[in-house]
Amino acid sequence: MKSLFKLMSVLLAVTMLLTACGTPATPEKVVETIKETVTVKETQIVEVPAQQTVVRLSGWASSPSETALLQSLLYQFSVENPDILVKYEPITGDYKQALLTSIASGTEPDIYYVDIFWWLELATNDVLLPLDDLMSASGVKREDFIPSLVDAFTYNDKLYGIAKDFNTLGMFYNKDLFDKAGLDYPTDDWTWDDLKAAAAQLTDTSDANKPVYGFCTPPDPGRFPAFVFQNGGSVMTDDFSDTTLDSDAAIGAAEFYTSFRAEGSGALPSDLGEGWQGTLFGKGQCAMVYEGGWLIPYLRDQFPGTKYGVVMPPAGPAGEGNLIFTVAWGISANTKNPDAAWRVVNFLTSEASQKTVLESGFALPSRQSLQDSDYLKNNANSAAIFNGSFNGAHPFFWGSVGSDVNDQMGKALERIFKENQPVADAMKQAAEAVRSAMK
Amino acid sequence: MAVSISRRKISEAINGYLFVSPWLIIFTIFSIVSLLYAVYLSFTSYNLLKPPQWWGLDGYRRVFDDDLFLTKALPNTFKYVIIVVPLQTILSLVLAFAMDQKLRFRRLFRTVFYLPSVTSSVVISLIFIWIFAPQGIFNQITRLSINWLDDPRTAFYVIMGMNIFTTSGTLMLIFLAGLQDISPSIYEAAQIDGANAVQTFFYITIPMLRPVIFFVVTVGVIGCFQVFDQIFVMTAGGPLDSTTTITYLIYKWAFRDTTIKMGQASALAVVLTLIILAVTVLQRRMIEGSGSMAER
Repeated sequence: MKSLFKLMSVLLAVTMLLTACGTPATPEKVVETIKETVTVKETQIVEVPAQQTVVRLSGWASSPSETALLQSLLYQFSVENPDILVKYEPITGDYKQALLTSIASGTEPDIYYVDIFWWLELATNDVLLPLDDLMSASGVKREDFIPSLVDAFTYNDKLYGIAKDFNTLGMFYNKDLFDKAGLDYPTDDWTWDDLKAAAAQLTDTSDANKPVYGFCTPPDPGRFPAFVFQNGGSVMTDDFSDTTLDSDAAIGAAEFYTSFRAEGSGALPSDLGEGWQGTLFGKGQCAMVYEGGWLIPYLRDQFPGTKYGVVMPPAGPAGEGNLIFTVAWGISANTKNPDAAWRVVNFLTSEASQKTVLESGFALPSRQSLQDSDYLKNNANSAAIFNGSFNGAHPFFWGSVGSDVNDQMGKALERIFKENQPVADAMKQAAEAVRSAMK
Repeated sequence: MAVSISRRKISEAINGYLFVSPWLIIFTIFSIVSLLYAVYLSFTSYNLLKPPQWWGLDGYRRVFDDDLFLTKALPNTFKYVIIVVPLQTILSLVLAFAMDQKLRFRRLFRTVFYLPSVTSSVVISLIFIWIFAPQGIFNQITRLSINWLDDPRTAFYVIMGMNIFTTSGTLMLIFLAGLQDISPSIYEAAQIDGANAVQTFFYITIPMLRPVIFFVVTVGVIGCFQVFDQIFVMTAGGPLDSTTTITYLIYKWAFRDTTIKMGQASALAVVLTLIILAVTVLQRRMIEGSGSMAER
């Protein structure tokens, strides 16, 4: 035991020496700047008199830079509204679990992120506050926001959340691989046939260590439904009382989606040893992928050399189809200060704040007026994702059994890919499983 | 005289309870109360957003109507116990027996074998994810190209192998203590009677270790019925539910599903407790039964 301890301490000393030598000096400066901002904010708050209204605000912390962005917006708010003290309480780890537990114990924050995927569960249980009265009192109109984002958070004609930002799917394509294959770059007018033809021509598996596939098709319920919509189908009926995964349109979409891999022009990320196709796109092993705007900062950080473009997903037999992923600011129905909470939400979704968000390059704003902003004019890639919300986009939301629907879509695709189950059988099995989960 | 003794006894008892009270209070709040609350919740419908509503046996009925439970979680859990418990018991017994011999570097080996047990299961899970990745070490050494953790036929066995690897260290230590407890005079007597090493092992060591074996198997069975963290980290119950066990299903219902089913999850937790209780009682009967037979 003693000798082990000695060995450990030697190892520790060596590691410390190594890290001391290896750390470059520059990144430390950045950390210090952030610290300074925080200090300034706290000093401001202390100086304000005691009759402040405290509003607690919570969300997940997706990245340090996004957190810093939100903190700078909140700092601006505190300067303009000294009577309100916003306490930012980010949740790391499983956000939904933490939020539901705090709701169950009656200690939830006044303002919190609500994900499109499960917000309705909160609204139907009267946990969320309808925002219409607060909105009209301060002159904010529904029309100010992108219509599909307003629809996404409306239940019984009441609006329960203001989208803080959103994403749709865009088709990312690798320009180098297109040049190498001698193909023209995709455009927003592409159709399924163009996609199919290009995928076959882009595929090059001659190098066994680094095969290139034209189009990657993960068994992902966050990608596949776009094809169902493009084929004129849907995942659920309009009132979410039944699934339509076994409809002809959905089966046709699954046939098209799985045909790439069957014909050798597509692959699953797991075939190539990765969990996410974004990494494979960066490595140049997937020439085309359906991903959201989150891939843009990822490529900038991890694969800065990749030359790529983004267009709207190709249209299917029934036209455009897309998915909207979005998160809204919701206000707790139990809040003691609904007016103060609304002022915070209103500030964070105001045109000025949304412009800051847009220009930071992390997310797309929910304000319709920003469609004509200079930023989107100069950033065609972001614009393709932004404009996706106007072209056949449906919210990524499947009702109260949403997680089961997602599970079953993923499993149906896995069974087709991995166990060669006939497509129609796989989709029927998925639909039956969803129906039994609804009971 | 009698009065003073009882008074001393009382004050001793108070002191005793005072000393255990920090643990007792925490145990009562976080184990007993939450356990009883879970039993209560198993008779209710509870989605965390609205107060629990009395449901009677509906939750239990739903558990036994659930396809995922009947066709995947239940058989998977039993398969896991049946494969992992014997293997980890035999492996740890062999390791303990080897560590009981006078080998060179014995202390080093003991440390090495015990190390996986004190390492966090999440860390070991991550290491195994990398070892069994398509381009991982395992495929490179064996020149196979199997996507171990993404193939419904293999994923569960990788997790089983990992669990055997991590738990055998602790069990080895328990066996080792048991082995060193056996009096050398019994071995000497066996030697004088002319027993060879194999006979000594099967007729002296194993019978003398019976209480330790019972303990190891019981702890192993209980642990295997509750396997969760490795599955949570490595496969999240997939691919195609091939690694979904009862505990993972409880977690899925209680926290993962869009509509939280806390009541149904609690009902399954109670069912799991009853299964473990039944198996343990059965085991005790069997081992004690065979013991008394042999002694006669």
